[in-house]
Amino acid sequence: MSDAETQVRNYILDNFLFTEDQSQLANDDSFLEKGIVDSTGMLEVILFLEDDFEITVKDDEMVPANLDSVSNILKFIQSKQA
Amino acid sequence: MESQTIVANLKATAQRYKDNEAIVYKDRRVTYSQLWFDVCRIADFLKQNGLQDGDRVTLVVENSPEFVASYYAVLAAKGVVVALNTAAKHRDIANWLNHCGANWLIIDEKHGEFAQLHETFNDEINLLIVPKDSDSLNTVSSNNWREVNNSYTDSTIPLDIDPNKPAAIIYTSGTTGTPKGVTLSHINLSSNVSSIVAYLGLVSDDRILNILPFYYSYGNSVLHTHLAAGATVILENSLTYPHVILEKIVAERATAFSGVPSTFTLLLRRVDFNNYDLSSLRYITQAGGPMTPHHIKQITDFLPDASFFVMYGQTEATARISYLPPEQLFEKLGSVGIPIPGEEIEIRNNKNQAVKVNEKGEIYVSGDNVMLGYWRNEALTSEVIVDGWLKTGDLAYKDEDGYVYITGRSSDMMKVGAHRISPKEIEEVISEIPAVSEVAVVGVPDPMLGECIKAVVIPNLGVDLSKREIMAHCKKNLAIYKLPKLVVFTTELPKTASGKVRRFMLIDID
Repeated sequence: MSDAETQVRNYILDNFLFTEDQSQLANDDSFLEKGIVDSTGMLEVILFLEDDFEITVKDDEMVPANLDSVSNILKFIQSKQA
Repeated sequence: MESQTIVANLKATAQRYKDNEAIVYKDRRVTYSQLWFDVCRIADFLKQNGLQDGDRVTLVVENSPEFVASYYAVLAAKGVVVALNTAAKHRDIANWLNHCGANWLIIDEKHGEFAQLHETFNDEINLLIVPKDSDSLNTVSSNNWREVNNSYTDSTIPLDIDPNKPAAIIYTSGTTGTPKGVTLSHINLSSNVSSIVAYLGLVSDDRILNILPFYYSYGNSVLHTHLAAGATVILENSLTYPHVILEKIVAERATAFSGVPSTFTLLLRRVDFNNYDLSSLRYITQAGGPMTPHHIKQITDFLPDASFFVMYGQTEATARISYLPPEQLFEKLGSVGIPIPGEEIEIRNNKNQAVKVNEKGEIYVSGDNVMLGYWRNEALTSEVIVDGWLKTGDLAYKDEDGYVYITGRSSDMMKVGAHRISPKEIEEVISEIPAVSEVAVVGVPDPMLGECIKAVVIPNLGVDLSKREIMAHCKKNLAIYKLPKLVVFTTELPKTASGKVRRFMLIDID
């Protein structure tokens, strides 16, 4: 598991699922469909990404393809840091 | 003979505007004639499968063409439609199903609680399952939804409905004690729709972008009013990606948008309105609690050509009670306006007497929009319906021009975004944790949501209890919007001499 993956997974587990049990979150779980993150929670996720990965999330980047699962977030971070 | 009901209205609208788009959802565009045909065949399916007059048909279906067709089909089949909160967990949904004595459950197969509900109720309640891959009634591939498709070829259905009979039940609270099922008649629905269509001046060219859930009265009224006018309802079911909302307004040339204060706060915070051509918007409506004058000013500055309607309502009054005419917005800033057409508002003191101008009291409402009562709860009904007037629990005064200004609420209910939540529901769930000795919950001001939930917990003596354990239990048992944002621990709760928790004092406990 990469550092980024550990960091993102632990953030979601800690702040939205309130557990350390890694089996509670699959990297492809849709945050919206599984009821993990709602609209105000997504703002917190964006702030976390901006602070911890030093990236800026623009308006048009706030789309499910970038933010709706751990996998999507990891791909998004990678593309921003490339 | 067909009486004045919203389903008869839809039939007439479908005949008049048959090729107009009724519902736009993802890449689907459902015309009025298609929608009416779907209504007829679902109604026919329900009747062919044993639906009797007055049977309760519950919907656990997200905003979609299937929701709309099913809702009107239940009315056409003379059932009582009970649209349930799709974010709710199994325990709430099960409680509502039992409370209303549901005969039918129409449910999205993709719903997170589907498997558990299916197992619990499959033998007790008729299920109609909207499949995951449904993209229209014509292409469904699984289970009994296909039978709906195959069962009907006609577009006529008798609508000899008694307008005084119950048409819908809307639950306003969850698991604690007895759920409150606001029971609305066909007259309640149709009269409120007529009043709203009149003051908003809705026409068939209107196109509203709707983000409000149809299971709450605000979203429900947005749906019915626009369908009554032959307008188009464009569905967008999440605010999670705010700029998508504005992009859709632009792409669809939407003429209208409705929200609660937190909707506008979220949009203003995350999206630069200057990047979008929103000139198609003819009006904006806002209900669901007070919006800050600053945000109203920002929205109206961005949208100078759109009329901004501040509105006030309650589920017990079907949806809408009052509106502030847009031309009075800044002259009467802070007011929720005047009664909707065909309704009266009185401000009364605790002796049930009308008070004078500028004097505070409780809002009472009279009109065809006042509910029949709470489902199977005469005692609770008689507490809020007094001589035909609805006692709203909201405190207010009227100015010399008759404009109403709300000053507070007399109940403990919290208002989190668009949701009304009883603190008792949260307390009940947290108190199930063995390590909790006592808990009390209160709504505290939140810049985004209006209010957020704060839980003050006393753990059992000598027990180690973490915030995470409490939140994990809440996450498992409560809908996402009911999760406390703040959890603090204490050793004593502020109480009255009789032992009742002084909720307002919880706000200051750190």
